[in-house]
Amino acid sequence: MTSHRLNKWESPKIEKPVNIIVGGYGSGKSEVSVNLARFLVLDKSFTARPISIMDLDIANPYFRSREASAELEKLGITPINPEGAQFYADLPIILPQIRGAIETAAGTLICDVGGDDVGARVLSSLATSFDSSTYDMILVLNANRPFTSDMAGCLKTIGEIETASRLKFTGIISNTHLMDDTDEEIVMRGIELSKEVSAETGLKLYFVSAEQKILDKIKQTNIDIPVLPLNRSLLKPWE
Amino acid sequence: MAKVLMKGNEAIAEAAIKAGANNYFCYPITPQTEVAEYLAKRMPEVGGVFLQGESELAVANMIFGAAATGKRVFTTSSSPGISLMQEAISYMAGAELPCVIVNIMRGGPGLGGILPAQSDYFQSVKGGGHGDYRLLVLAPSTVQEAVDLMMLSFHLADKYSNPVMMIGDGMIGQMMEPVEFPDVYVEPEELPEKKWAITGAKGRKPKVVKSLFLDPYQLEDSSWHLHEKYELMKKNEVRFERYKVSDKNEMMLVSYGTMARICQTAIDALEDEGISIGLFRPISLFPCPQDAIYAEAIKKNIKDVLVIEMSTGQLVEDVERAVVGKKKVSLFGRTGGVVPSPEEVINKIREMVTKKSKKTKTKKKA
Repeated sequence: MTSHRLNKWESPKIEKPVNIIVGGYGSGKSEVSVNLARFLVLDKSFTARPISIMDLDIANPYFRSREASAELEKLGITPINPEGAQFYADLPIILPQIRGAIETAAGTLICDVGGDDVGARVLSSLATSFDSSTYDMILVLNANRPFTSDMAGCLKTIGEIETASRLKFTGIISNTHLMDDTDEEIVMRGIELSKEVSAETGLKLYFVSAEQKILDKIKQTNIDIPVLPLNRSLLKPWE
Repeated sequence: MAKVLMKGNEAIAEAAIKAGANNYFCYPITPQTEVAEYLAKRMPEVGGVFLQGESELAVANMIFGAAATGKRVFTTSSSPGISLMQEAISYMAGAELPCVIVNIMRGGPGLGGILPAQSDYFQSVKGGGHGDYRLLVLAPSTVQEAVDLMMLSFHLADKYSNPVMMIGDGMIGQMMEPVEFPDVYVEPEELPEKKWAITGAKGRKPKVVKSLFLDPYQLEDSSWHLHEKYELMKKNEVRFERYKVSDKNEMMLVSYGTMARICQTAIDALEDEGISIGLFRPISLFPCPQDAIYAEAIKKNIKDVLVIEMSTGQLVEDVERAVVGKKKVSLFGRTGGVVPSPEEVINKIREMVTKKSKKTKTKKKA
């Protein structure tokens, strides 16, 4: 598996049992969540197991992390998704086991949340289940999205999501991309903006994520933060 | 302008603003609600109107009223919502009002589901509402094309004083792709003055915009006048694209929207196996590129015409009409929100090509 081949950079460090992955629409939250789960399960030095992934996206009807469930389950990751016909719905349904899974999180739980403040609102109904000492809430930042292309936009998004979720961010993931048009320059520009937002807000910059084929073209010395190589799982039918 | 990453729904919204359409009326429905979410943020920035009505019925009639002022107006919805709008759409066609309606299609009939479908072809192309009228219907297959066709839709609506509909399956609305917008939108050609626009009758005679004609001869005149417009559209607005069409093709696929992209992936894979297939992709659904489909289908090398759509068979009827029995037209359809994979399409084509070659071999032996 390419995602587990020797990373020429430092690997992402996951510190808390509960990791809430949030961001604007199209920032790449689901792809990052799926890849992070896969990376951790394959990383033998990572011991906070078992690893589960929870799809909390109630805003998007398609291209959600639940679509990669079968693949993740094979690797030993536990997917937590709506069941039956609700699997296909975009209704604000919170399964009873969701609250339980958050409160009793053993090992590592990755929560993939829907986009923008609209998607993050689901967190407010669960806010009392999150213990501030056991969770990180991480913003996935894509500088190529219109509403998070500059500092002002990022700060606005952070504020809106924090208000809607009733939770505070603890960190940032730089995931700047332009789908198939992504190049090294785009990834590097994204890191720059993420560093600026990190400096302005005091939020920790956890890691940068980018497709393996782009990372292969970047010099080791050019990135000084941990790196999560991506192998896309949430593809369009013709890809 | 540099490329940005946008969800189809957002890109459609931004394209409308680029084309100077600052009047948007809507009612939310999956999978197109992001258009409304985006415009709720954007319209105040450009001094436009964003209004969420109490239902699709209300919205469509708001469009009717707003269009009568001569301003560029639009709405977006998804299948069941579009059904609710049909009465006002027929009225607007009758009253010759330009407007743009976007349908990001989901599975039907009835409330159906929320996953991608193409089962509103008949509704869009063959009427939907009552009376002798047509909509100009465009179908993009990429987010960039959705942007381009959205801007063009406003132009064509004004050119013909007629509602224009852009339809895409749910994926067009939901998927993210890089897109580019023009810095300044330029009309492709000069547009007629909107002399009919209701702008306040101070100092001039009142104008009347209506679709009611009690005198049957007047109504007949009006209907034939509309008909002439539709004939002009058939002459001037046919749009399509061909992919890997050559005299080596054994078969021609006909498919539109994102389904055509799945066909392209299948065609590329089959090419590696030495099976040559071409794709005909209608971009304008009304007018249907009938003559061009006929011209491709009758070519000697084409043994089969296969229509692939996300429905139980709607576009296929227009393809049959175009081919007029000269070649066999078959259908491969999935529906209800089930999107066929390139593998399914490949298998279907392989099965048809193998059957054909077996038949030919048997004939030769005899």
